[in-house]
Amino acid sequence: MDPCTHEWSICNVRHGYLVEESCFECDGRITFFSDEPSPPKEEYREGRHFWAYRASVQTVKFDLKCRACGRIVNLNDVNGLMLSQCTDSDCRVGALVREQGPDSLVYVAVCPNTTHPTGECVSSEGIEALNQYFRARLAPVGRMVTVVPCKLCNSFDRCRGTSIADTGLTDIQ
Amino acid sequence: MKVSELVQKTGLTAINDYKDREIESVYLSDMVSDMIASARVNCVVVTLQTHKSLIAAANLAGAAMIVIVNGRKPSEDVVALASRTGIGLFSYDLDTWSFAKKLFKLGIE
Repeated sequence: MDPCTHEWSICNVRHGYLVEESCFECDGRITFFSDEPSPPKEEYREGRHFWAYRASVQTVKFDLKCRACGRIVNLNDVNGLMLSQCTDSDCRVGALVREQGPDSLVYVAVCPNTTHPTGECVSSEGIEALNQYFRARLAPVGRMVTVVPCKLCNSFDRCRGTSIADTGLTDIQ
Repeated sequence: MKVSELVQKTGLTAINDYKDREIESVYLSDMVSDMIASARVNCVVVTLQTHKSLIAAANLAGAAMIVIVNGRKPSEDVVALASRTGIGLFSYDLDTWSFAKKLFKLGIE
């Protein structure tokens, strides 16, 4: 058991683009973070996949550092956060959304490959640190959030929710 | 300063019911994702964005209120989500700079 009751703060803030690509061979979709001045749009081959650019949004990535023990939790495997509005009765995230009280919301931490072909998703260490960080931050104002990995979704592509992403000035409603 | 006091002193138009929290700081930006890393708890968010992701991010940041400038109005689902989080949504007719000057004159920095 970890002896430190962590006091997380945000560190290593990086600005860049969340780039989405799809493979026209297997129909798979991946996302990755790019800190280049403009998002890369070149098509390329990777094993049996042929990845092609689909879309990109401006975003911010960060890690968490404990002020007490100095431990840093790398959140490279978190490509975004989505406020869940799932209504799927068979989905574990949907069940969690229904269980929440009026002062609580569920956020899904989105990993680079939401089809999870290898079973990998956001690390449990990252999920735990995100929950501890946001709960400590929001407790004084009487708010509560629960962060879950996207592998808990029945199907992330069909999941209802609001992604925290910047659509760019031309998309302002 | 409380949210209600700021509303009265700056002539903001309330869009929803809100919790009258104490304001401690200001965050001016139209970049929603940056809010999580940069805004502080109990801040005033001043922006011209009106989409739902604004509320999703402001909730994680612990914002007390959001002021939407240039007279923009959010859609009903955005207002409903803001009400659920207790974050006050307000409309201001002029631009960000005009509102920032008002905040500064009131001693909110």
